[in-house]
Amino acid sequence: MSHPEMDELYELYVLNALDRDDAFQIDAHLEDDCAHCQEGIRAALQTTAALSVLADPAEPTKDLRRRTLSSIKPPARSRPWLVAIAGLSAACAALVVFSLWSATRMQQMRDQVSVLRGERNELRSAIELLTRSDTRTVQFGQTEETPHGRVLISSTGGVVFVGMQLPALDRDKRFELWLIPAKGAPEPAGMFRPNTSGESVHISSVPAERSTMAVAVTIEPWAGSPAPTTKPFLVVPLG
Amino acid sequence: MPSHEKADAQLIDLLRKRDAEGLAAAYDRYGRIAYSLFLRITRDQSASEDLVQELFIRLWNRGREFDASKGTLGVWILSIARNMAIDHVRSAQARLAGRSCSIELIDKLSMSAHSADPESIIDRARSVDAGFRNLNANEKRVLELAYFEGLSQSEIAARLKEPLGTVKSWTRSALGRMRRAIQGASAQESGNS
Ligand SMILES: [Zn+2]
Repeated sequence: MSHPEMDELYELYVLNALDRDDAFQIDAHLEDDCAHCQEGIRAALQTTAALSVLADPAEPTKDLRRRTLSSIKPPARSRPWLVAIAGLSAACAALVVFSLWSATRMQQMRDQVSVLRGERNELRSAIELLTRSDTRTVQFGQTEETPHGRVLISSTGGVVFVGMQLPALDRDKRFELWLIPAKGAPEPAGMFRPNTSGESVHISSVPAERSTMAVAVTIEPWAGSPAPTTKPFLVVPLG
Repeated sequence: MPSHEKADAQLIDLLRKRDAEGLAAAYDRYGRIAYSLFLRITRDQSASEDLVQELFIRLWNRGREFDASKGTLGVWILSIARNMAIDHVRSAQARLAGRSCSIELIDKLSMSAHSADPESIIDRARSVDAGFRNLNANEKRVLELAYFEGLSQSEIAARLKEPLGTVKSWTRSALGRMRRAIQGASAQESGNS
């Protein structure tokens, strides 16, 4: 793609509204640290951020202001935590409570809550998938010390990959999940990174054909690859 | 917006010093618009309130990384907010085809966005509104689907039952016109000051 072509696409790129091929071309190009494009993206962010004023004006409650601001002041620290904890799944909450022991970790904790909230949403999707009648569940892994977990797969709803003891990744790498059909090329089913404990819940709504024989996980560059570029470190047969 | 409000650059100064005043002022300046954006995208009041809290906690935690000379707090806040809201409504599908511009990249690039104009986004609301009103119905529709619903070009084409090429050309012209309206407004403002 040439620069004049890309110049027209930066807004859509930052909105994540480009189709895969176009987005990947820009991703790949940005990895070369092109100053022209970084500038183009910064300008695009100005435009897209300004579009937010098109949302119908709504008035938040006064209480929200109080809650938001008190959540960063030391004397009132506990309250938003209780709110956040209440909203999280039991497993996530246990992690939060554990970390509250250490006041020095408060800062990291706040960032984790955002992450956990995302994971909570993912778990909701996973639960939705679990209730579908065509969902298959396959466990993988031999021991607690090596990668293990389970794959939930539905030909109508998508795939949920729950992994533990996953290997740590370089900063510029992510895992890519693949659906392996009986015939033909592996189909990409999304990118993910494990948390610091080596755990990950990855949801893909790519519908898995009935002929999907296995799922596989490879390590790929951050932007992902259209076809695996490394040997899978994990293959889970579904049969 | 009343003119006595602190400019973004001053807010960044306070946030960098971890002065809670800075967060309060940032909330007073951007809390309402962020909440409106969350509500428009999620259609869920309680989710929107959670997201507002999360957004400002994130801002507080990142405060030191901002550069006051850039003065682009609004770009960061509203770019991250929109991304968080779309993630919220599309959590299961969000990792699908083409969704590769990560929140980390937006984070990084919006912190160092343009320094050309000190006007905040809110001060430009009128030109944005006017620009949007001047779009034709198709341009408005595709822009809303991309921005507020987070749909990709081909998803929009499927939703509207229009050819992809048509959707691409509507989107391109909509964004081109908005870009000119927004950047034109900022050029004019800095010219006047
Ligand atoms: Zn370039």
